Amino acid sequence: MTSPPLRFQVNGHPQHLANVPDSERLLDTLRWRLGLKGTKEGCRTGDCGACTVLVDDRTTLSCLTLTHEVDGAKLTTIETGPEDLVVTRVRAAFDRAGALQCGYCTPGFVMALAGLLKERGTAAAREELLDGLGGNLCRCTGYAAIVRAVDELRTEGP
Amino acid sequence: MNSFELVVPETAEEAVAALQALAPGEAAPIAGGTDLLIDVDEGRVAPRRVISLRRLPWKTLDWNAGALTVGSTLPLRSLEEDPQVRVSYPGLYQAVRAVGSVALRHRATLGGNLVRSAPASDLVPVLLSLDAEVDLVGPSGDRRVPVDRFVQASRRTDLRPGELVRSVYLPEARPSAFLWQRVRPSNDISQVAVAVAFSPAQRRWKVAVGGVTPRPTLLPEASDVLGSGRPTSSEVRRASEIAASRAAFVTDRRASEEYRRHLVATLLERAVGSAVNGGRFPA
Ligand SMILES: Cc1cc2nc3c(=O)[nH]c(=O)nc-3n(C[C@@H](O)[C@@H](O)[C@H](O)COP(=O)(O)OP(=O)(O)OC[C@H]3O[C@@H](n4cnc5c(N)ncnc54)[C@H](O)[C@@H]3O)c2cc1C
Ligand code: FES
Ligand code: FES
Repeated sequence: MTSPPLRFQVNGHPQHLANVPDSERLLDTLRWRLGLKGTKEGCRTGDCGACTVLVDDRTTLSCLTLTHEVDGAKLTTIETGPEDLVVTRVRAAFDRAGALQCGYCTPGFVMALAGLLKERGTAAAREELLDGLGGNLCRCTGYAAIVRAVDELRTEGP
Repeated sequence: MNSFELVVPETAEEAVAALQALAPGEAAPIAGGTDLLIDVDEGRVAPRRVISLRRLPWKTLDWNAGALTVGSTLPLRSLEEDPQVRVSYPGLYQAVRAVGSVALRHRATLGGNLVRSAPASDLVPVLLSLDAEVDLVGPSGDRRVPVDRFVQASRRTDLRPGELVRSVYLPEARPSAFLWQRVRPSNDISQVAVAVAFSPAQRRWKVAVGGVTPRPTLLPEASDVLGSGRPTSSEVRRASEIAASRAAFVTDRRASEEYRRHLVATLLERAVGSAVNGGRFPA
């Protein structure tokens, strides 16, 4: 079953989508309909955070979100260009800190951290940011370099 | 994968009608979807119609002289972001913060948590300690049910066919605390959870535990020995012993019964300390 066409703003660009099944997940819409394969599927049960995207600037697990439920929203994924300053800064900090190995978890971490910074501002306490990344799993880095990226962003200032 | 039709009613009446139009099990409401969509994927439910609650005016937080009404579809993250919740209901704030991850809490709701009625819910113990009541709307009108009667067992509540949870009513701001023990702090299930609250109006403590079967429960005997104000350290010790010996713990893959009995005593002592010292404890 499919409801009326959907309208989104995806990474700054308007998008109209017709014939999206009512039961489709945002993760699948992004990856398979829009070709935005930066957003990853790790578990599909809310446990890993690899599918994290921003819906109206708030972190959201795209595997547990119906696409139709966020009709009209502003969606931001790891593919966003420099128009999203926060995501751009977080990506750069991950790069400088060498905070990735295989990279599978990275889009989820970057979006989760960007979302926290948007909610809390760069003055957010270190504990608050680290705690806020608790829903993201990484099998490679041992997290130390990811924590370094967080610290870089904090010392860098607004 | 199960495919369903999504309907998006504008009013509670429309939502109730949409729910009633099909046999129970054929229609399911969706709030955040963090439980429902996993149940669909794992084949535990197979609704033909899913009823979105997103347009209903229930994403609310209403204060009325210390009492708080939390709309059933308010994302948990909004609840924890409210500065007054943190001050007036510290136990609720701490319990909400314990649920899943930030991204999960941007969608997950209190209404969904109650209706899922998970034995390991972190929110049910706190709601019990706060004497929370559930406001329901349905085909035969509105009714209010205490959480202690609403939540029955895993996936079993007092919700009747065609009914929806509209809000949760917290009668009184209470010095309170919620503590848990897990293997991992985020996205994990509590082995034991303890919620304590002191009612200034009744001058009584309420102690509730999670991690027990078949669902979180109040422990009236442990509550009573805490007395009518700041408990002495021997009263706290006595309450912990009662909790450790009486709570219906079992061994499962998360923890042994013995470990749970040990944990509950420690967590209860700390929780009472946190509630007493968290400020605003009545003289
Ligand atoms: C990775 C992960 C980690 C989690 N960690 C925790 C945790 O630490 N602690 C914890 O307590 N929980 C945890 N949960 C469960 C928690 O996310 C849910 O219980 C959540 O609160 C349910 O809210 P929802 O809005 O997503 O419900 P939904 O999935 O939308 O709905 C759940 C059920 O309630 C029904 N429903 C929803 N709203 C209403 C309503 N207003 N009236 C009538 N029926 C309704 C639905 O039909 C469905 O049957 C976790 C879940 C995941 C996936
Ligand atoms: S794929 Fe969504 S949380 Fe793992
Ligand atoms: S870099 Fe490989 S999972 Fe994180």
